[in-house]
Amino acid sequence: MFGRYEPGFSYADPDIRIQLLDSDDLVRYERECAGKKESKFLGRSFTALHIHPVEPVNLPEQLTNYLEISFPPLVLPPGSSQTVYLKFPVEIGVFLESGEKRNLVDIFSLAPVKFSLYGTPSSGVITRWYYSDIYTEIPETNPLREGVMTLQIKNSWTEAITVSRAVFDGPSMCLFYGDRVAMITNMEIISSSITHTTFSDIAPAGCPNRSIDLYVSRGFSLTTRKGYFMEAGTI
Amino acid sequence: MSVLEVLNKTLPVPDDITTSLTSEQNIFYTVSPREILILILSIIIAYILGLILSHHIRLRISHRLKKDQIDILTGFIRITLIIFAIGISIPAIFDLSITLFAIIIAAVIAIIGVSSQKVVSNLVAGIALLYESPFATGDFITSGEVSGTVISVRLFSVLVRTVDGVYVHIPNDQIYSTTVSNNHANVAKRYVYSVGIGYKDDVKLAEEIIEKILQDYVFVLKNPAPTVFVSDITADSVVLTIRAWFPSNWKLTRDDISLSTEILPKIKEGLEAAGIEMPYAQQVIWFGNKPPITAETGTKQN
Repeated sequence: MFGRYEPGFSYADPDIRIQLLDSDDLVRYERECAGKKESKFLGRSFTALHIHPVEPVNLPEQLTNYLEISFPPLVLPPGSSQTVYLKFPVEIGVFLESGEKRNLVDIFSLAPVKFSLYGTPSSGVITRWYYSDIYTEIPETNPLREGVMTLQIKNSWTEAITVSRAVFDGPSMCLFYGDRVAMITNMEIISSSITHTTFSDIAPAGCPNRSIDLYVSRGFSLTTRKGYFMEAGTI
Repeated sequence: MSVLEVLNKTLPVPDDITTSLTSEQNIFYTVSPREILILILSIIIAYILGLILSHHIRLRISHRLKKDQIDILTGFIRITLIIFAIGISIPAIFDLSITLFAIIIAAVIAIIGVSSQKVVSNLVAGIALLYESPFATGDFITSGEVSGTVISVRLFSVLVRTVDGVYVHIPNDQIYSTTVSNNHANVAKRYVYSVGIGYKDDVKLAEEIIEKILQDYVFVLKNPAPTVFVSDITADSVVLTIRAWFPSNWKLTRDDISLSTEILPKIKEGLEAAGIEMPYAQQVIWFGNKPPITAETGTKQN
């Protein structure tokens, strides 16, 4: 489903239906996802439509820029590294191409939504929360619903540490698609109270296509992707 | 006797001030249109400089400060620059010394301060609010009897729009001297609700139903987890207390009413669907020496 489409395109599967209908000087965009419908008119000046997976922090309304993945506890000895695979929710963005610009038209998702609080109410952050099992090999996923995150954990601390959640910064995300939706993330445990999560901009195997940066399309300047410092623990 | 003559006699002033005082009679006669033009030009230059500086400040530090703080900071810089321009040009034009001009300005400020203490106290409270920043534009606050969304924070007052759409103007000193609750200062806020169920109903089942509703509700935070427990046994019902955390910046947590209208009907429907009674206030009356009458049949028990 993900890719670039010319006007006149339509897509339908049991969960999602998208179509562009000609209507005089305008194009009518219609989308139905999990029973929810969206319909709007588009000006004819666009040249194509892009459907890409986007940073999963937008629905049902944007309350946060952070994604939190909870998973079964993983104990890491001091100085060790471990790579595991997690699943994360996918949100689907529809963009209009006009010249060099990509403007967001619609976002929808089949993944369940839940919010959580990481840290304290006064100094913490609201997160889009998602639970995933830990996988040692790339798990099978429905790319319209879930993506696969490669999580490279490094314990730089002098003590063993238990990790059961990771919080990621939305604007720093680098999403790719191909056989599946995927991203590569790094998690460095600096001390018992500080953990740094970042994203790799290297395409995972089988996912050569880079998704449109939602934040860039909204006008954010992402010159540095600094990641997120988790200061409220990893359990 | 003029003010300047009084100052001449009462204040020990240095020579340059004395010279200025003696030239007082010629002050207004020696001002040429050219000097007036210089004064106006210096004010315009200060104004433009202030705008340029404000623009750069907004560009450079807008991500570090809140909008209100930037507005007040840039306004303060612009006013300071204009006062500075006047302070530089007027003594030169009117042939006054800086010291004398400072004395006159101080006297004017003192007169204004004494005659409008309320304005000054509002200004001081405004600066204190700017420094402490207990709320910002867009926050939902309660101050005294006023609850509403902050529209703007100014040097002298705060504008609030209540949930009824009424604009309320609150002087800063009033805000500063009363307790202010800010719904948005923290990222999450806990809401507490009470639900009464019948004595004959299964408490455990009711708790499970409510917990399921809260878990399925997108905006109830996963952590801290919501809790449901028996908090009281009253004359009419068993009271279940519900505690759940919500994001503060969600549209339904902008005030305390919207969320109740969203979450409580879901709980009522869930409990009623499971056959759990939410009883009215009721009493069982026993008559002395007579057997009780059952509510269901209206017949006397033996």
